Amino acid sequence: MTDCGCDKAKAELEEFLHRELSDDDFTDVSEHLAGCVECETEAAVGLTLMQKVRSACQEKAPEELRESILARLNAHV
Amino acid sequence: MAVLEAPRPTRVIGRAEVDSSPMNRDDSELVDDELDNDLSDDAAERTDDADRDAAPTPIGDAAASEVDHDDGLADVDEDLNGRVRSALPPEELRRLFEEQALPFMDQLYAAALRMTRNTADAGDLVQETFVKAFSAFAQFRQGTNLKAWLYRILTNTFINSYRKSQRQPYQNAIDELEDWQLGSAESLTQGRTTRSAEAEAIDHLPDSDVKEALQSIPEDFRMAVYLADVEGFAYQEIADIMKTPVGTVMSRLHRGRRLLRERLADYARDRGFVVADTPRRGR
Repeated sequence: MTDCGCDKAKAELEEFLHRELSDDDFTDVSEHLAGCVECETEAAVGLTLMQKVRSACQEKAPEELRESILARLNAHV
Repeated sequence: MAVLEAPRPTRVIGRAEVDSSPMNRDDSELVDDELDNDLSDDAAERTDDADRDAAPTPIGDAAASEVDHDDGLADVDEDLNGRVRSALPPEELRRLFEEQALPFMDQLYAAALRMTRNTADAGDLVQETFVKAFSAFAQFRQGTNLKAWLYRILTNTFINSYRKSQRQPYQNAIDELEDWQLGSAESLTQGRTTRSAEAEAIDHLPDSDVKEALQSIPEDFRMAVYLADVEGFAYQEIADIMKTPVGTVMSRLHRGRRLLRERLADYARDRGFVVADTPRRGR
C-alpha cells in the first residue's frame, strides 16, 4: 500500500469528501486516511459538517405556498 | 471508517462524468487569472438577466445549455422535434410539470430560505421560480437535469428580483478577500484529540445553530456550501447554476465550509461543549 502522505490528503480532503477526485486520487487519499489517525479525524470533522448542514436544511414548503403555486399554474393553462 | 462510505447520497452526476467534462479542468486552471474578470462579467450578466427575465424562452435556452455543454443556444430551436415538449398539448405539459417539477418544491423552498433569509421572500421566490419554470417548460429538454435547471432559474430570479435590495456592499468583492481577512485557520493546526471532540460537538448542535451560522457567512459562500452539501450537486453543476468557473466554486465552498466550521465551534463553546482550541485549556 502506497501512502500519498498528509500534505496531499489535506490539500485534497474537500474534493475527497465531495467526490470530485479522480479514481486514482480518491484511492490515494482513502489509503492515507486508513493509516493516519490525524487526517482521518480531520476528514471526520469535514464529513460531520456536511451531514449536519444537510440535516439542518430540510424545511418543508408551507401548504399555502403549494396551494398558491397550483392556483397560479391553473391560471396559466 | 465511516468517512469512506458516507458522502453524497444525493449525488446527481457520477464522478467519471464530471471529470470528463472539458470545462471542468479548464475552469480550474483559469480561475486565478480570471477571478477579476469573472466578477465584472458577473455584474454585466446581471443586466442581461434582467432583460431575459421578461421572456420565458431565453430562460429555457440558458437552462438547456447549462446541462449539455456541447449545445450552443442556437441548437435548441433546431432541435425541438422529439426532444422538447412544445408539441405536447397544454394539459399534458401541465400534468408533466406537476409530476416532475413540483416535487422539488420543498428543496427549492429550503434553498430560497438560505438565499432570502426570511420566509415571506422565500415563498415569493419559489412561487416566481415555478411560474417561470412552467412558462419555459415546453423548451426544457427531456433527459437533462431538471433539478439543476430549476435551481438555475431560482438563482437567476433571486439575483434579479431579491438580491438587489438585500445585497450588502462587501459581498461583491468577497472572492477577493484573503483568507486571513475571513477568519483564522486555527482549526487546521489543532491536535487530534481536539478535532475529534470538534466533530462530536458539531454533531450535537441544534439545527437552529447550523442555520444561524449559515446565515452569517457571505451569500456566495453560503450558496456554494448549500448546493454542494445539502443538494449534492457536482462542482460543475454548481458552476453552471452560479455562473462562475469551477475554481471559484471550489474556493467559495472551501472558504464557506471553513467559516462555518469556525462559527459552529464558537456556538459549541458557548453551549459548554468541549471544543478546546486554545493552549490555556491544556490540550
